[in-house]
Amino acid sequence: MNTIVEANRLEKHYGGFKALSGVSMSIPQGEITGLIGPNGAGKTTTLKAMIGLCDVEGELSVAGRDPRIARHQLMHDVCFIADVGILPKWLRVNQLLDYVDAVHPRFDRNRATKFLGSTEIPPRKRIRELSKGMVTQLHLAIVMAIDVKLLILDEPTLGLDIVYRKEFYDRLLNDYYVGNRTIVISTHQVEEIEALLTHLLFINRGKIVLDAHMSELETLFTEVIVKPDQLTQADGLGPIHKRELLGKKAYIYEAVPRAQLEHLGEVGTPSVADLFVAKMKEGSSVNPLSDSMKSSNDE
Amino acid sequence: MNRLASIPFVALLWREVLENRTLFIWAPVMLALVLFVFAAWLISMAPNDQVSISIQYLSEIFDGLSPLEIAPILMILAVPFMVILYVCALIYLLGALYQDRKDLSVLFWQSMPISNATTVLSKVVTVAAVAPFFSVTVLLVFYTLALLCLTLLGVAYEVQVAGLGYLFLAALTSLILVYLSAFTATLWLMPTVGWLLLFSAFARRAPFLWAAGVFILIGFLEDFLFGSQYLANWVESRANPNQYLIYNLSDVTERMFSYDMLFGVLVGSILLLGAIFMRRFID
Amino acid sequence: MSLLKSILLRNRFTILLATLSLYMLVLVMEGALTGREARVIDFENPFFDLNIRDFEDFQDSQRNEDDKDFLTDESTIL
Repeated sequence: MNTIVEANRLEKHYGGFKALSGVSMSIPQGEITGLIGPNGAGKTTTLKAMIGLCDVEGELSVAGRDPRIARHQLMHDVCFIADVGILPKWLRVNQLLDYVDAVHPRFDRNRATKFLGSTEIPPRKRIRELSKGMVTQLHLAIVMAIDVKLLILDEPTLGLDIVYRKEFYDRLLNDYYVGNRTIVISTHQVEEIEALLTHLLFINRGKIVLDAHMSELETLFTEVIVKPDQLTQADGLGPIHKRELLGKKAYIYEAVPRAQLEHLGEVGTPSVADLFVAKMKEGSSVNPLSDSMKSSNDE
Repeated sequence: MNRLASIPFVALLWREVLENRTLFIWAPVMLALVLFVFAAWLISMAPNDQVSISIQYLSEIFDGLSPLEIAPILMILAVPFMVILYVCALIYLLGALYQDRKDLSVLFWQSMPISNATTVLSKVVTVAAVAPFFSVTVLLVFYTLALLCLTLLGVAYEVQVAGLGYLFLAALTSLILVYLSAFTATLWLMPTVGWLLLFSAFARRAPFLWAAGVFILIGFLEDFLFGSQYLANWVESRANPNQYLIYNLSDVTERMFSYDMLFGVLVGSILLLGAIFMRRFID
Repeated sequence: MSLLKSILLRNRFTILLATLSLYMLVLVMEGALTGREARVIDFENPFFDLNIRDFEDFQDSQRNEDDKDFLTDESTIL
């Protein structure tokens, strides 16, 4: 499998705060990868490091380049939308298009104009006069008109209402995700993009705690709705997470063969959201399973 | 225009103009308006015969003189505009690599395939060539309107106004000198430009305090620790505007390629290089 | 070399320090070599000695010297 991003032991300190403590990951080409973690887990720092907007220690290669020394060459191949409205507020919409048109050799102005035509964004308005949803639409329209290998989205729909959010992801999937393009999306709202993703990265406290293809989840993780009389046995097999579900108990197991679990109750694959909660809780307490988890990461 | 605007570097310069139109365009326009209103008020207060004599005098004294020779003295009229340009350039340079980090748009600018060196260079060119262009354009309009008013007044008072033509030609020539002076001033002051951009890229807040504070600190430390005043000498030895202003077209090469000019550009480039590397740390 | 580079480019403070050190080094070296001192500029341009009351005299003198360079050589700086 071709990878477009390779990171090895990335470290980043902000004063005494360790934003990244050894992030290692590889992002496959042509997939939609979700970088998922709670607030302050290091998502933004990781993404910014990938496009040379923040200096980190460790080995890092994006589209065959080191973003720390070749940011501007890299930007021919990579686009970025951030969580906050980063478009310059004092520019008008058409001035922004002029600028990108002049500066980015892979920008197709007609395509951007076409996308904008289907929105309600007036081309003469200043960006500061647009609503947050419109700014995101505008940024997406620009980015979708740039033919790049890798698109990086950092919490792109934060603070948008449901209509804009849904439209955003529809657009992304239908109009953008073609050919061999790669998309990386970071978010802490898992449910929203669960159906979209083909690859998962969980990040917590500056470390990658899960790096798996969606199709691998089935073999790696099992969720069991445990029968009341099997509870002690179920506890004995070392679930990584337990939760109440309509009066029943649902346990999530990692790297335990399904054959061993089937007699405990109803067996299935956990949802990404449940898995996320399980993985985040796991890191926050001392857990005997953390070693086996680590080894499964390294594979 | 469209062809020109699609050159990446021109787009960068245009971006600077759009962001700083208050500094580059509205500041000189306001100054021109104030001066114009003030002049109109003066003329309206003066007795009629004095006005007509003054116009005749203005028309006669320059009559027949080569515009090239009168131009330097007319540069004095542009002094308020040059002062405003200096102040605006100072404000601009301190904000140039700071403002976009503050409003987070730096993430957008940095996501375009433009290198940090090109970005910093575009700021220098903006100060050297683009901002003076607007000052001079405003002055041109100002001079034209002023001469037009004088001519009309002169005709109304029935005095000879043909000589005002020489005044106008000289005023136009002086604008070329003003523009060239603003350009050589930026080159000569490259250490200052570099210093301001360095701290603009460095500071998380109050770039002016950093820039001024560190300068004073270094000067003080040098004196205190080594008993020398190289920094102070350096600044003092090149603090006279006559070292870089251009009063005559034949001055240009001499100004541009003097030892002090070239050494200043070299030293300024060290600071600019620092600013370019600093740009990697935008968080 | 790459070690030096990685130390100097570690964060914004090291870059500032490195830049200012180099700047001062070059200044001091040049200052010591050339004995740089505050330069007194002897600037002579006839137009700046102009007294507007004598403008007619001045105008005549300029017309008479039309073929000469009106900036004297002493106006050269340095």
